[in-house]
Amino acid sequence: MKFLLSVAFCFVITINLFAQNDEDLSGRKAPNFKLINLDGKYIELNKEVGKGPILISFWATWCKPCLEEMVEYNKLYSDYKDKGFTLLAISTDAEKTVAKVKPYIKSKNYTFPVLLDSNSEVARKYYAQQMPYTVLIDKNGNIVYSHLGYMKGDEKKVEKLIAELLEK
Amino acid sequence: MKTLNFIPIILLITFLSPNLSAQNNKDWFLLPDGLGLSNQLEYSYNIDNKVEIFENWLTLDYNKNIFSAGIRFEAFQPNDPDPSISRGKVRYADIAYKYFAVDVGDVEEGLNITAGNFYELFGRGMILKSYEDRNIRIDNNLLGVKVEGNYLGFSLTALSGSATNSNNDRKDILHAVDFSYGGFDIIKLGTTYASNQPEIDGIARTSLASFRIQPSYWNFDGYAEYGTKNNKDIQTNAFQNSESKIGEAFYGSLNFYYDAFSIVGEYKYYDNYAFTSSDGTIFYNTTPSLRKEYTYQLLNRHPSPLDQSNEEGYAVEVNYNFSDETSVVANYGITQTLPTSSYFQRVNNISLPIATQLKEVYLQATHSWNESFTTIAAFGYNEELSTNTKNFTPILENKFYFDDINTIKLVLEHQQTENLSTLEKYYDDVIAIEYLRSPNFNVSLVTEVQTKEPEEGKTIRKVWSFVQFGYKLGNHTDLSLLIGSRQAGNICIGGICRYEPAFQGVELKMLTRL
Repeated sequence: MKFLLSVAFCFVITINLFAQNDEDLSGRKAPNFKLINLDGKYIELNKEVGKGPILISFWATWCKPCLEEMVEYNKLYSDYKDKGFTLLAISTDAEKTVAKVKPYIKSKNYTFPVLLDSNSEVARKYYAQQMPYTVLIDKNGNIVYSHLGYMKGDEKKVEKLIAELLEK
Repeated sequence: MKTLNFIPIILLITFLSPNLSAQNNKDWFLLPDGLGLSNQLEYSYNIDNKVEIFENWLTLDYNKNIFSAGIRFEAFQPNDPDPSISRGKVRYADIAYKYFAVDVGDVEEGLNITAGNFYELFGRGMILKSYEDRNIRIDNNLLGVKVEGNYLGFSLTALSGSATNSNNDRKDILHAVDFSYGGFDIIKLGTTYASNQPEIDGIARTSLASFRIQPSYWNFDGYAEYGTKNNKDIQTNAFQNSESKIGEAFYGSLNFYYDAFSIVGEYKYYDNYAFTSSDGTIFYNTTPSLRKEYTYQLLNRHPSPLDQSNEEGYAVEVNYNFSDETSVVANYGITQTLPTSSYFQRVNNISLPIATQLKEVYLQATHSWNESFTTIAAFGYNEELSTNTKNFTPILENKFYFDDINTIKLVLEHQQTENLSTLEKYYDDVIAIEYLRSPNFNVSLVTEVQTKEPEEGKTIRKVWSFVQFGYKLGNHTDLSLLIGSRQAGNICIGGICRYEPAFQGVELKMLTRL
């Protein structure tokens, strides 16, 4: 009984600590990373920061919601890339499915940068324990939004935030 | 049953809490600059066997300029009673992961040193894949030192570390080095060497070495890696020193893509290539398993576990997009055991014929009828050796988006199973109805019915059913609550599977990130 009470106590405290309304955007500095893209070239986050908002999308080829989300993010990329917006799609496909990443991206004709994080080193830095996971970074390199999972409509809020960041 | 009296109280407080805290000043919770935090809590209570499991992972990281450090505090009180899951952490509360790292330079010329716990993957995991996957409760992190350097296209990683065995002890020491060159546009080269040093003197080391190439030209990409395994004791005892190695492995893949079409072909040959600690409870490597990763429930019901010591096979997958609205995926794969001439059979002094371990076919078509309605039709067939079953599985999924933020999803799965040992035939049906409301809420009802006919005219039906709620608390916390019963099954990721027994009760999960 004591144990359950302590579980309940920890639970409630945790929720109270971290519950926020929609306008509460955190300002954690985005951890830097270096990853290889589909052409085998290194991309470093710090070299992309400063140009405009950066959307980092953690995904995998076996994750159905990720593939749905990617269709919507591709539209955002087409609409905002010329205004300084950057999309970095980080594939967490491990040794088993990493061979399928490039063929999938090419067959969909996606043109945004896709990076390979085969052992989830970067996903761990961003606490992306489940897929899909989205992180939005402002031009100062601060995380202003993060979101786990994908439901149709989630992209609306992301688009609103991107537009706001581009205006700043 | 007394315990369950607390559940409604916990839930009530849970759902009241966000409203209370939303009234607070938004700035008070902001973490100091450079600090990151994540907490994952999982609690379950099984009504049937009155088993309670509480698991919590709290991670703290701090980044400042070129320095970073972090800890992970784990509490399992009590842990899962299955020793293959708890792995020596039955009642455990301690810092299980800690590190300090310095990272200087950039992508052209840089150096990274990590002291403490770390993970690492070389190539496609043929020799080393140290990783954590909480879904299948695997964590073979290494405790030691890792140094990574890159200069003008050359990359070098050297490490020395020790992983925990099934008793949560770190005994053997792993030494490994990986060297690669990526300066050419059309080809990349790499080589890996790793050696396990047993804790006990007098036992020979096990060493693995491999060489890999990764060519890329026009719309073709390839990958090939060949490796060998050595152990002087086994070379002497099993082969009287007539062989220069005790195992070997090859993995290759070739991709081609053109416009809306792509094809991936993969081949594997793993002969006595599992790389373990001397007690056999730590697996250092995880080779590509060439098994299809499924997201539907019944397709994972009869999985085939990866056997890095005794496998040969191939897999082919084709993708074609007829238009933005219509696409198809077709996959075929086969895995067989090795012949009597293999290192595996000779080292273990056995003589077994080649057997088909897994044969699988998967077809999937997706079509969006309009902006509001999408249908996925899929069919899976597999023959699996460890359960000795044949399984036919048709699936139909419909998604209806009835405005910008509301979705209803209906998934129907049917699986016809034939047990080749007992000749028993039975079938399973799963119906899942899900309502999703972006961005905060989803609820799903999942029911499974298994129908068996042990004698003609006598039908036995078993039913499992659960309801699952998902809710986002603010921007950083995800909550999931499951109530009901679910069938025993396997959670499989990358060919590594964890068996989950049948469950009836309450399961609560909460994930927070800051």
